[in-house]
Amino acid sequence: MSVYAAGIDIGSAFSKGVIFKNKQTLGFCCIPSGGDYRATAEKIKKELLSKTGLSSPAPIFTVATGLGAKMVGFADVIRTELSCHARGIITIFPSVRTVVDIGDSYSRALRIDEHGHLLKFLLSGKCAGGSARILKKIAKILQVKLEELGPLSLRSQKQVDFNTNCAVFAESEAVSRIAEGASKEDLLAGIHRALAAQVNNLAERVGIEKDYALVGGGAKDEGLVKAVELMNGFNLVVPSEPLLTAALGAAILAEEMAPA
Amino acid sequence: MEEKQKGMWPLVEKYYQDYGSRARELKKDGIKFMGYICSFVPVEIIRAAGFVPFRIRGNVHEPITKGNTQLETIACPFMRSCFDLSFKGHYDFCEGVIIPHACDSMTRSYSVWKYSLGLPYSHFVNVPHTVNAASLQFFEAELNTFRKSLGRYAGKEINTAEIAQAITAYNQLRKKVKALYELRKTNPPLVSGTEMAKLLTVTAGLPVEEANLLCDQALDQLPQRTAPSDKKFPRILIDGACIDNIDLVQLVEESGASVVADDLCLGMRDFWPTTDVDQDPLKALSRRYLEKLNCPRTFRQSPGGSLSDDLQARFGDMGAHIKEFGVDGIIIYVYKYCDPFGFEVSARKAYLSSLGVSILYLEDEYSAGTIGRLRTRIQAFLEMMG
Repeated sequence: MSVYAAGIDIGSAFSKGVIFKNKQTLGFCCIPSGGDYRATAEKIKKELLSKTGLSSPAPIFTVATGLGAKMVGFADVIRTELSCHARGIITIFPSVRTVVDIGDSYSRALRIDEHGHLLKFLLSGKCAGGSARILKKIAKILQVKLEELGPLSLRSQKQVDFNTNCAVFAESEAVSRIAEGASKEDLLAGIHRALAAQVNNLAERVGIEKDYALVGGGAKDEGLVKAVELMNGFNLVVPSEPLLTAALGAAILAEEMAPA
Repeated sequence: MEEKQKGMWPLVEKYYQDYGSRARELKKDGIKFMGYICSFVPVEIIRAAGFVPFRIRGNVHEPITKGNTQLETIACPFMRSCFDLSFKGHYDFCEGVIIPHACDSMTRSYSVWKYSLGLPYSHFVNVPHTVNAASLQFFEAELNTFRKSLGRYAGKEINTAEIAQAITAYNQLRKKVKALYELRKTNPPLVSGTEMAKLLTVTAGLPVEEANLLCDQALDQLPQRTAPSDKKFPRILIDGACIDNIDLVQLVEESGASVVADDLCLGMRDFWPTTDVDQDPLKALSRRYLEKLNCPRTFRQSPGGSLSDDLQARFGDMGAHIKEFGVDGIIIYVYKYCDPFGFEVSARKAYLSSLGVSILYLEDEYSAGTIGRLRTRIQAFLEMMG
């Protein structure tokens, strides 16, 4: 009897889990990471188990990944989110060779081969510049929901020039633009363009080869996706659940590694 | 018995943790110390003048505070940390400081070192940036100026025989270190990268005789070790400037790799080249430091015309070490604002890629906090190689 395989990805903003058996996803979940990663991991495990429909706890082989991977007390193996993203995305889109994960604390650019093996990677700097953190800050300043950022940005008539790469300084630059009378739409379009430039800078440095996928929280923002597409002149691929790629990759690795 | 097995390692640990502690002890016995920074200061001349050359070291665990009052943050963080500790009095047993014309951060900060520390002696060694007959002649004359200057301070004339003697002592040390590196060729290696980094850092703050003794003890003891396990880890070479703290090497080894070789100032870059003994000592020293010491601060003209000739002339020694030590992957580790290494990264990558080894490029500040944040990159690199 084969065991269940789980991938748990503890990120700085959200923690994600995927449960897997016989190459099929049986269920997934995504909850805010909060301040206690151990408890968050346990919560995900419980939720994943409930999705298998099993009444009693079943043996699960777990691969943990992400910033808080070490806090997943029940993990059998730990793998970096880079390897997990690579395996996850190739399973969803076999044609992808370049991926940028726009996360809360980092953005990560990956070049992968047809098997989902990592060929090259690059992380954004040591600070949150170039990550999706700036989107959260801007949403707060503009008092809009995160999911409204994309639609608002796409309605822009005249994007503002936005220059700051630093997530902290960006806040004051945004306030200055508002003071100058910029509309929410134009301000957001400017920010999306600035962030897209940073995303593309990472991708260019690992070398863009089509298909090019965006994943992570930032990929849920269609304004940002559009800005990256405009910069490249071609369409990107984005999975329907872009936050789950690393957890899925971890679950796939778990099934491969699990003792028969 | 257990203590005996540990051999000289507890002493190495003590000197590593409290760098300069041996100098403070020896100073009480009247031994004189002369501080210097970088591999381009000819320690043989300092030694011949009757001083113990003491390599000024930084500390990635100590935030730079006082040093930043004299040096802006655009200056190399490694050099700033060295200056910060000196300025705070950590190395006040040194009678002076000698700075070479190595990189801009050192050259432009010489006056800051000289006037802020206010030490009885200071000297700037003008090392040329090119290697040719004229620059070698110039450098030999410059070394003679340094010899006279230091001699005046020491109240003696530094004679050729004394320099020759110091050359022999430092050549011995370099040969012993080379013999220790032989123990890293086995898979798994008999000595870890972390242990070697500690030992080599420590030797730079000791009289050469004591450094030789530590290496002798290590050479006696290490071959008797049995490899800790059969487990073979990816074999890594670290390429960069001066790494005088073990933190990066330790992080790489904790992540499941063996650091078996390097291209670092406190490593193969400095310990590999010896000084010829069959010619005039100053001429031989000028050749060792200018021609043999391979650092990007020195411009090397390619003998051929093609890019691959150029890369071979600049990095061929590293290529040979990669083969010799069975290296699987290279970590290029560059400090922020390090111009000499920073400008060369793409050339280094191009050369190393042509050898078919995996490469990870890391840019970092000089602080333990930022080194920790490199963990994910290092782990992913090892996963990629695995």
